[in-house]
Formats: sequence, structure tokens, C-alpha cells
Amino acid sequence: MMKKYGLTAIALCLVSLYLFPLYWMYITALKSGTEIFANPPTFWPENPQWMVGDVWSRLKMDVYLWNSLLIASGVTVIVAICGTGCAYVLSRIRNRWMDAVLFIVLMMQVLPSSLMITPIFVAFNQVGLNEVPRTSVILAQAAKVLPLYIVLCRATFLQVPRELEEAALVDGNSRIGAFLSIIVPLARNGILVTSVLIFLQSFGEYVYSRSLITQRALQPATVGLQSFMGPNTSDWSGVMTYSAIYVTPVLIIFVLLQRQIVSGLTSGALK
Amino acid sequence: MLNFTRPFRDGAGFDTILVMLALGYLVLFSGFPLVYNLVMSFQEVDLFSLASFDRPYVGLDNYVDVLSRPEAWGIFLNTVKFVGISVAAQLSIGFALAIFFQQNFPGSTWLRGLFLAGWIMPALVVGAVWSWILAGDFGVLNHVLLSLGLTGERIFWLSDPNVALYSVILANIWLGVPFNMILLSVGLAGIPEDIYEAAEMDGANAFQRFFTITLPMMRAQLGAVISLGVIFTLQQFDLFAALTQGGPSNASNVFQYWSWQLSFQYYEIGVGSVISVLMILFVIFVAAVYVRSTRHEHLA
Repeated sequence: MMKKYGLTAIALCLVSLYLFPLYWMYITALKSGTEIFANPPTFWPENPQWMVGDVWSRLKMDVYLWNSLLIASGVTVIVAICGTGCAYVLSRIRNRWMDAVLFIVLMMQVLPSSLMITPIFVAFNQVGLNEVPRTSVILAQAAKVLPLYIVLCRATFLQVPRELEEAALVDGNSRIGAFLSIIVPLARNGILVTSVLIFLQSFGEYVYSRSLITQRALQPATVGLQSFMGPNTSDWSGVMTYSAIYVTPVLIIFVLLQRQIVSGLTSGALK
Repeated sequence: MLNFTRPFRDGAGFDTILVMLALGYLVLFSGFPLVYNLVMSFQEVDLFSLASFDRPYVGLDNYVDVLSRPEAWGIFLNTVKFVGISVAAQLSIGFALAIFFQQNFPGSTWLRGLFLAGWIMPALVVGAVWSWILAGDFGVLNHVLLSLGLTGERIFWLSDPNVALYSVILANIWLGVPFNMILLSVGLAGIPEDIYEAAEMDGANAFQRFFTITLPMMRAQLGAVISLGVIFTLQQFDLFAALTQGGPSNASNVFQYWSWQLSFQYYEIGVGSVISVLMILFVIFVAAVYVRSTRHEHLA
């Protein structure tokens, strides 16, 4: 018994060591401008300062976060509309064609954004999408994360028994009726968790936004953070306050959904 | 009219529509750019010819141009180092942690899940936090190293050309460990307990059990995790943007960042597409190997 709790203690140490950067971010955010340059550095703020309001209004974080929210929501909606049906079909039918589709989806999943942005930028410019930069980011990012959504949702649909669907069809439902009223509600949890993952990923999107959005008022929080940091920043408590405001909602959602996210990820990635 | 829509509501047409919706989107916004990228790599594309559809073809000039630049070889070596060291370290740390958390102790699952907090954060924010930890003058890492006596003087992690790349690698390892650990945990959980018990009764020690049971049983998982590690490492862009911007003087530059720089900072878009085409070919190759190996595992 003692040995078990000894292992828990070691595990706690490992977790705290790993999460030290997060701790350091929050602690720095609470330090004053002079205390961050103290030598030796203090591991607990001597006179904590709450700079959230100041950083929030000075850096116009409401604008940045609103843009991030808009982009993430747009991406999630497009992906859920386009991907759910495809994931369902891929979970039900196994033949040569569907294998080919699954293979294409998996290949599209691995394309790095930083390499795709060159052709996307040029093509979007030529068709005039650069007039609506946030929409272009949404369209490009949706293509980036759609394959992941399909792969993870497919794993969820695989767990919905076929018999329920067949029973619904026998009862006179149409295919689309059975899909919308039986299958989707049964796979609800998996779809929701996957959508949250997609949302969080797009909430932190950087490459496309940096390259496609030039107007400051339309940029998301990642781009805002990068331009605030600049090459030679010394306002570290400001940067860390910004970071903390930005990631705290992400971390709260993560802690709430931790179990589902872990199981969703593991079922999708290896099957 | 009813007869015309019927197959779409009920028959195979319904499946086709659902698949085509997603596939069409992917072809339009991923497939087409892929092809366009290849086309542009044979064209002269700069700010002036950006909007025109009729750009001069230059054959393989872009390829010759970019690969014969003096910085190309160094950046190539950096990319190899970045991927090799990151994946090796993520895998070994992730594997060790996975084995540790496989021991059945109170809170093991919950504590293991906490590691994913690093993975869920926007990589740019992770980069911002690390650039503060690694800061030369007031960074906490230098303070810890100095007070432990591990280094005699401050290391300028982000501006010293000899260590800048390793700083990005360090942050990238931090980012990748949780994902490796979680995937490997799944594999470990699949190994039947009684094999270990039988081996223990036969007198095999922990090392022998690891090398004769764990490693062979995990082969497929390890293959998958290594391929995924390579793929994710080659996608890493945000950390470079936040930490070093590829500098000082390309000392920490890698292909995926260089390609973006060529296109968006120097506006040599044709040349940027060349790097992009070459890298995408490599990534797709790794991904094909990965998909094949997981298929194989399914049949077995």
C-alpha cells in the first residue's frame, strides 16, 4: 500500500515538473514590472498585481479574441456540416472505393499548413478572397482539420450498433431520417468532443491568419500575441498576462472534458 | 420527380452525397492547392505576376536556384536534426512515462491526462512561454542551471547560433511528449498481464521482460507513433515564429519555416513552392508508410 502512494507522489512530481511552464506563465503574469527582473527570480510573487484589465484594454484583446472566436466557430460549423456524414458512411461501408476515400482523407490530414499556405495565398488572391480575410482563414483551416474530424468521428460511429439503424429503416424511416434521428443522436457525445477539439485547434490557429490577414482589426489572438512580443520585448509580465488570458478558457474546457478528449484521441489515432 | 429523388434519400445515392460533400471540400481547398503548388514551382511567381494567370514557365530553374543557395544545405541539416532529435526524445520520454503510469496506483489515469494540457495549448503561446523561460538575462532556466552549477555562465538560448536550434527542439519535445505517451499507453494496456506473470515465474528480470515482451509486442504501435511524430514535427511552425524566427542568420531555420519566409517575407513565391513541393512529397511518403502499417495491424 505504501508503495502505491509512493508512486502517486512520484507521479505528482513528474506532472508538476512537466507543467512548470504553465505555472511560470501564471506566476509571471502576477508579478510587477520590476519583480520579473529580480535576481534570483522569485518563485512566488511578493506583491501580486492584477494586470488583466490593463492588458485587456491596452492591447485591445477583445478585438483579437473575438476574431479568434469567430474563426474557430466558422471552422467548426463547416467541418461538422461537411464531415459528419462522410465519417458515418466511412464507418458503415467497406469496399474499394471507401478505402480509397479513407486513404485520401488520411493523406490530406498530414499536409502542413506552413507549406500549403503558399498556393492557398496565391489562389485566394486571384479569386478575390483576400477581400474577406477572416473567411479565407476559415475556409483554409476547415480544409486542414476536416480530415481529423472525419477520422475521430468515424471511430465514434463504429461504436453505434448497426442493428438500431436497420430497425429504424424497417420501421419505415428513410435513410436520411434514420441518420438524423437515430445515428447522430447516439453518436452525440463523440461528435461534440471532436467538435470541441477542432474548435480549440482553430482557436489557436496561427499560420493562415498571419499570412492571409493584414488588417490588425481582423487578426486573431495568436497574431496579436506575436506582434506584441516583437523581437526584443522586455514586457514579459504583459506577454504572460496576455497568454494567461488567452489560454485559461482553453485549459478550463480541457479539464472539464479531459476524460472524453483522451479516449476520443486514442480511439481515433490508432484505428 | 419522386422517382428521381428517391435514390438520393434512400439508396446508395445518399452515401455518395455525404462522401462527396466532404471529399469535394477537400479537393477544392486541399487538392487543388497541391496541384497549383506544383505548377507554381515551375513558374516565375513574384509580387508583380501574383494576380496574373499567365506567368512565364521557367522549367526547373526554381529548383536549381533554391537548392544551390549556400544556406540550403545548412537548413536541410537543421531540419534533419530537428526531426530526428525531437522524435527520438519525445518517443523515449513518452515511452518511459507511459510505462510508469501503467503501474496501477491511485490517481494514475487522472494525473496522466493532465500531461495533455501542454498539448491542447496553442503552440504560439507555448512558444511565448518558452521564450520567457529561455530568455538569456532573466530567464528561469539559466538561473536554475547556474545555481545547480551545471553551467558556468549564462547561455543565450535564443540568440547564440550554436544553441538556438536546440532551444526550439527543447520546446518541441515538451509539446510532443504527452501525445506520444497517451498513444503508447493504449498499446501497453493491450498487452495481456499473464504474459508478464509467466515470464516473472520463469525468472525473467524487469530488463528481460522489457526487451523480450514489451518491445516486440509494441512494434506496430511504436511504428505508428514514430511516423506520427515525424509528421507532426514537420508541421511545427508556430514555435519557430515565437522563439527564433529561424535566426540568428538561419542557424535555427528549417524547411517548413524557410518555405514560408521565401514566399511571405522575400516574396519569391515560385521558390517557396519548390521547398513546399519537396517537403509535401516527403510528408506524404511518411504518411503512406504509416497508413500501410496500421492497415497491416488490422489484418493481423
